[in-house]
Amino acid sequence: MSVFLGPLDATGRVPPRQQTRVAAFLVSCHGAMARQLAIALALQTNAAWQTELNTQLYRESEFVSLLVRATSWTPDPELMFLLPSWEAAWLPRPPDGIPDRVQALTIDIAALGHALHGAIRPAALLPDSTPLQDPFALALRRIELESNRLIQAQILFLKRADLLPFRNAVNAAVESRHAQVRRLWDDMLSGIGVERGIDQ
Amino acid sequence: MPDLLGCTMPFLVLGSYHIRFELDGPEGGPAYVLVNGLTQYAELWGVYRDALVARGFRVVTFDLLGQGASDKPALAISQDDQVAALALLINQLGDVPIFLGGISFGGLIALRYAIDHGDRLAGLALMSTFAELSPQLLLLGTALRTGLILGGTGYLQDLLLPMNLSDAWLGPQLGKLEAIKRQGWLTNDVYALQNLMDSFLEFEPLTPRLHSIGIPTIILNGEFDFLTPRALHDTLRRQIPDSALVIIPRAFHAFTLEKPDLTAHLLFGFAEEVLSGKWRGDRSVWIAPENAGDPLIPFPKGHDHLRAIPAHGVSP
Repeated sequence: MSVFLGPLDATGRVPPRQQTRVAAFLVSCHGAMARQLAIALALQTNAAWQTELNTQLYRESEFVSLLVRATSWTPDPELMFLLPSWEAAWLPRPPDGIPDRVQALTIDIAALGHALHGAIRPAALLPDSTPLQDPFALALRRIELESNRLIQAQILFLKRADLLPFRNAVNAAVESRHAQVRRLWDDMLSGIGVERGIDQ
Repeated sequence: MPDLLGCTMPFLVLGSYHIRFELDGPEGGPAYVLVNGLTQYAELWGVYRDALVARGFRVVTFDLLGQGASDKPALAISQDDQVAALALLINQLGDVPIFLGGISFGGLIALRYAIDHGDRLAGLALMSTFAELSPQLLLLGTALRTGLILGGTGYLQDLLLPMNLSDAWLGPQLGKLEAIKRQGWLTNDVYALQNLMDSFLEFEPLTPRLHSIGIPTIILNGEFDFLTPRALHDTLRRQIPDSALVIIPRAFHAFTLEKPDLTAHLLFGFAEEVLSGKWRGDRSVWIAPENAGDPLIPFPKGHDHLRAIPAHGVSP
């Protein structure tokens, strides 16, 4: 077990099996976020939040399309079992303790986004020797950098004043999504010989 | 739980949080507890651990909440929780003399601990530390936080390295800065660093409570510290009765990284003076030697230690 992807092949590429598994996971979670954001955007009447949701929707879509192009895909039969379990994990889970169900659903979308953008560090999987111009590595670095910016909207939303009365419920929802995302991410990595250790 | 080197790391449990720590040195010896700066991790105290353990000290290093392998609360990190984690660690050490040292943000946490639990400590070492946010520090901290948000940990490191380290240190490292930054980049998560920065940008000034720190206190300040300049350290000196300010020549904010041998020797010398009953703080001002082991020099009388030019001023 290593804490990084690899060993790299002769051309400096991450092995296609690892690329496929990592990309499939990221396409699954960011694709789910894009779908949830599309619905949230359609229901949102606040102009400022419409702008932010629109940005988030297209950035999540960009992650998916980037991975589809940049990954060296290879057949991976295990994905037939893994993908349904991942997709089930991203389904809405409105937290208890929030009387308004629409608000609870929105909190869950933000909590999931916070976890996906905060807990997943795809670029940190790349070994030091990865070529700078490798397309898969470039994609992972871009997703991580943009995630740091996207999470700002989730932070602003989850810390806003009108949610203060529900602070404990909001906190619990975010921590729960973080734990879930970390577990699934770590399990997926462990299936391709990568063990995250430093921030478990 | 294996770390990057495959070692097993010990953790303390604080409520729902796990705090990763390392304890070295002889049981029963006096202890030094060292608190990280904002972007640091426990391994960066390695030189201090080795130097102090060799002199019979127990040394505790740990990752603050939000750092390294300790838990990273998702939405916010309170300084109260950091102090509670520190208290939990110190309580593990038993009834031995305990010296607490902290650098920058870690110094702030150490200050808060000393205010609340000073009777538990034999001495306090504050390095590049502040008790309040001056307008400069507030604006710099806010700008650094924005840099973190827009450019990630790597960009924050790019800003901090030239701000906090000297040309003498940076020059030979220029070709390998990426490698130096990489461990910090791997270890730190942006949202957690952001939570840590928020917790210091929003804190209540400690200056009105400093006088209650009755223990021996050494205050170490780099001669050219840009981030937390001399005036912030002088506030500590003036308010803490049994304190002495020591200026580290040619050093910037991160002198614990740049001059570890000298700083470890100063920490040891401070503890030795306290344990032997020779320490007299007297709110005095000193200049550290260039080399570890050489004696401290009293700041020249009649000159203002807050000025960079040799201006006449209030005697220390």
